[in-house]
Amino acid sequence: MQDQLTALLAQASAEFPSLASRPAFEAAKARYVGPHGALTTLMKQMGGVPKEQRPAMGKLINEAKTQLQGQLDAALTRIAAAELAARLGPAVDATLPSPDPAPGTRHPLTLVRDELASILRKAGFVIADGPEVETEYFCFDALNTPADHPARDAQDTFYLPADARFGNVAKKTPGEKHLLRTHTSSVQIRTMLSGSPPIRIIAPGRVYRRDTVDATHSANFHQLEGLYVDKNVTVRDLKALLDYIFTSLLGADTKVRFRPHYFGYTEPSFEVDLSARHLPKVNKEWVEICGCGMVDPLVFSGVGYDPEVWSGYAFGLGLERLAMMLYGIDDIRYFYQNDLRFLKQFA
Amino acid sequence: MKISRTWLQSYVDLAGLTADEIARAITFLGFEVEGIRVTGAPALAQVVVGEVLTRNPHPNADKLSVCTVDVGPAGGVKTIVCGAQNYQVGDRVPVALPGAVLPGNFEIKQSKIRGQSSDGMMCSAKELGISEDAAGLLLLTGRPELGAPINSVLPPGDTVFDLEITPNRPDCLGHLGVARELAAWFKKDLVYPTVNFTPAQADPQPRPDLLHSVRVDAPADCPLYTATVVTGVKIGPSPGWLQQRLTAVGLRPVNNVVDVGNFVMLEYNQPVHAFDARKLAGRALVVRHAREGEKITTLDKAERTLTAGTLVIADAEKPVVIAGIMGGLDSGVGADTTDLVLEVACFRRQSVRATSKRLGLASDSSYRYERGVDPHSLEEARHRCLDLLLATAGGEVAGPTLKVGGDVPWQREITVTPAYINQRLGFTIPADEMQAALERLELATVRTDATSDRGPAWTFSIPSWRDDLDRPIDLVEEVLRLHGSDHIPATQVIAPALLADDAPIVGFNRRVTDTLVGQGFNECITYTLRPAPEAGLWAPAATVGGLALANPFIADQSHLRPTLVAGLLETLKLNQARGTSAARLFETGRVFLEHDGRMWECAAAAFLICDREKDRAWRRRAPADFYTVKGLTESLAGAAGVELTRQVLASVVPPTHGWQAGHAAMAGELQHRGWIAQFGLVDLALVQSLGIEGTVHAGLFAILPEKLAAEASRRRYADFSLMPAALRDLALVVDTAAPAADVQKILAKIARTATGHAFALESVAVFDVYQGEGLPAGKKSLAFSLVFRTADRTLTDDEVNTALSKIQAAITADGTIALRA
Repeated sequence: MQDQLTALLAQASAEFPSLASRPAFEAAKARYVGPHGALTTLMKQMGGVPKEQRPAMGKLINEAKTQLQGQLDAALTRIAAAELAARLGPAVDATLPSPDPAPGTRHPLTLVRDELASILRKAGFVIADGPEVETEYFCFDALNTPADHPARDAQDTFYLPADARFGNVAKKTPGEKHLLRTHTSSVQIRTMLSGSPPIRIIAPGRVYRRDTVDATHSANFHQLEGLYVDKNVTVRDLKALLDYIFTSLLGADTKVRFRPHYFGYTEPSFEVDLSARHLPKVNKEWVEICGCGMVDPLVFSGVGYDPEVWSGYAFGLGLERLAMMLYGIDDIRYFYQNDLRFLKQFA
Repeated sequence: MKISRTWLQSYVDLAGLTADEIARAITFLGFEVEGIRVTGAPALAQVVVGEVLTRNPHPNADKLSVCTVDVGPAGGVKTIVCGAQNYQVGDRVPVALPGAVLPGNFEIKQSKIRGQSSDGMMCSAKELGISEDAAGLLLLTGRPELGAPINSVLPPGDTVFDLEITPNRPDCLGHLGVARELAAWFKKDLVYPTVNFTPAQADPQPRPDLLHSVRVDAPADCPLYTATVVTGVKIGPSPGWLQQRLTAVGLRPVNNVVDVGNFVMLEYNQPVHAFDARKLAGRALVVRHAREGEKITTLDKAERTLTAGTLVIADAEKPVVIAGIMGGLDSGVGADTTDLVLEVACFRRQSVRATSKRLGLASDSSYRYERGVDPHSLEEARHRCLDLLLATAGGEVAGPTLKVGGDVPWQREITVTPAYINQRLGFTIPADEMQAALERLELATVRTDATSDRGPAWTFSIPSWRDDLDRPIDLVEEVLRLHGSDHIPATQVIAPALLADDAPIVGFNRRVTDTLVGQGFNECITYTLRPAPEAGLWAPAATVGGLALANPFIADQSHLRPTLVAGLLETLKLNQARGTSAARLFETGRVFLEHDGRMWECAAAAFLICDREKDRAWRRRAPADFYTVKGLTESLAGAAGVELTRQVLASVVPPTHGWQAGHAAMAGELQHRGWIAQFGLVDLALVQSLGIEGTVHAGLFAILPEKLAAEASRRRYADFSLMPAALRDLALVVDTAAPAADVQKILAKIARTATGHAFALESVAVFDVYQGEGLPAGKKSLAFSLVFRTADRTLTDDEVNTALSKIQAAITADGTIALRA
């Protein structure tokens, strides 16, 4: 019997290392230690072994069993490892690029708008919105632009036909025409009419001018409007805000100056010039960037705010112009062509 | 508006100021300086007239000459080395003597040139800064006196500022107005022109043979009209000083009468017009509205047909002037004119503007009338004009001026306190500085009252030319202008929190942008205005008219956009044409959709994915398909709080408006839901016809802005079972056309009934769709996985199997659905 055991073990150690798959392994396992396996058969012969030999024989069988089990475990580990290895392809070339879509990009005008919004949010401004199709009241009348003002000419402003019907752009008066807003200032009026002071909003959005398209003009472009209404708002507060905006945007060495100007809906009114050393593509000392002023008392009266109680300021700037200055872009049409080589430069 | 420095000098002393200093003052007074042009010679000290006495070759240089030059009393005979070739002995030329500083800071010194000493320099026009001519010496004609300062010989230099005059300041469309501003800024006196003419000077005898009558039939459009007869004038060129003034500001001198008229217009901002008295039929002037179809040939030699309502000046027969805009060719002053009628009038600005616009005809005169001419300065301007006429063209004023319309008396006062001004400014300007500033602008202090709490209250009278000043706030601006708006002191931003929210559309755009950028899309911005054919492709034919502008500027930007996809396709095409791979694009923006006969402005987001063979990669991913864009469109809807998975989807059928029938779907409508979604394959033929390679899948979600909710209400937690699930699969055979979602709905309903209250169907989902071998024609198999679970125990196989049997029996009951064998 001892010889049989020795032979069995020898046979097993010859056979097990060449087991290559799990079914082969299971078959081998059954042949040795299964219910009809060779070792099991030998164990069944224990009954025929003389009693005095049994302990020694039992020990031998146990040792053989342990050895077999050890060899089986090793084989199984080897097969399991081989199975995992088989799931792998060849080693990767880590230098090949990912074939999946590259990260998306935000448009430079969105980036500039968001940057301004986050700067102004710190000063308590929230974003308001208004329609791009407007009526004469919101775009002109309420902003103190008289009926015969050149800005209202069909030469400069896009109008919709007199019989145009808009479901969600209501007219204030029956006779007025629908138009494409020429500035975001119309949102000032909508905000003041729908809310109550104090108000502190910005309104970024698309505006339209009937203009020849060239490197600096576009049929539609984007503005960012600001409006602050409260008690005792002063010219100095307006200057402080614009100083804050542009130094936040361009750095502490930025200089901001006010030049008197004229807008129908602010009094006094100013144009704002910037001077910052590190701006690309700007070789003039001062660059005009923004219009602003103190809300005209007539505008307040028009929306039912008492100009003796309420005061405020408004400002508006062109996002394309600002983006062109910040990034050094020299043609406004690039914003609307969306060449991927352009879009991917900013995100 | 061009303003000449020399001209300004007549009214305000600007000597000693550089052009930049004046430009800066103008800028801070509120007028943008768009250009500065220097003409003529600058002030040149130590540059005098000299005469070349001898000219000999330089011993050490081929191209130089050694000359002796006589500069007369300025220093006698000088030896000068010169490189120019264009002069001869006897020529008189400019000589810069040692000590002279030529433009460009070029200082002339006594020097040695190639061993030959030189006592100065003979100059070219360029070296003197009067022109770009550097070809040789400036040869002086007319033999000017030796030693005379060169500035006394050369035409005087001038600096011309090109100003943008804001529409509120028509008074500054004349030199006098700008001079007034500068006088106030530099704290100098303003000197008005001396006007010598008085009505008493006129020959008292009227001349009805030259001008019989003046009548105004349209007093609303012409509140004041004056006509003055001047006899015995001699038409000729105007004097040099007058020609120089006009030339400097870009006007071409014509003759003494026309030039005087232009001069007064550019001085007082009062247009004037002169008729040849002998060319007026019936010796009458009538200010009236034109009759429909009347014709006039204007000075620009164009025949114009007038419409009723056009204000004209007519003689007894025909219109002779389009009022305030342009005179007629036949009635104007010509070389043989001896007697003229001078018109100085006031026309209603709206009338001039409307006519100018209607005729497409503008002039310096109409520009001024449109912006506003001060009727109260009219008399002064008229007298000034007569003064200059008599001085330059001779003749005399015949009879009293015929005047129709009255002077509306001008009186305006504004009361303001320094405390109010300081309060509006937010910083303090001393009261005396304020008052002085306003008075320099000719706002006279009428009285000063005491107030109980705000210090003095000034009442100012407002000059008639400052119609823009009407309220105390207007004086705040005047004070700040003269104080200098670049002197507003810096301060901190004070921003008490208002605790308000952004408009809901901001969150929508942000969520959409975050989602799509995260998925590798590039944000685009395309034009809102689109060509009509394109709008017709994407919007139902009946609604295209609602998108049309009344006055498009160019044909291919005539309609509002009904979709964002068209713009993205255009972008795709541009990138393909440029060899740039643009596979994933998106845009957020407004679109305009029709519903119920009206147009609705909607917030929208759209994207597209383009797959083409050309865009190769070393490992090719599965291309996007309908279900890719469906998932993305669900994300867009989700950004607006709309759960697209719970909405009814309609397959796109013709007319497809840009989408491929059978491969695209839409959901929503404006009336009840307030939003729409469209997604799927873009019409293959359309894509091909646009010249775009590959296939394009796209998605669009649009919503009425007012339907965007501020924030979704807070979610409530729902309890879920920790017990194991029981899973069963069920394959159903249905008609090929049967939508999977409908079958699933039926299955879920039946399954819920089958489980009753004992346990629950947790979910049901399609995991396989099969069509083909093994199935009858026209049938497909949908395989569903069903997940059952209870809250409190493990389900037994028996109860689940019993339920499944019930489901199988129920779902096949009506025969439209079969179990797959």
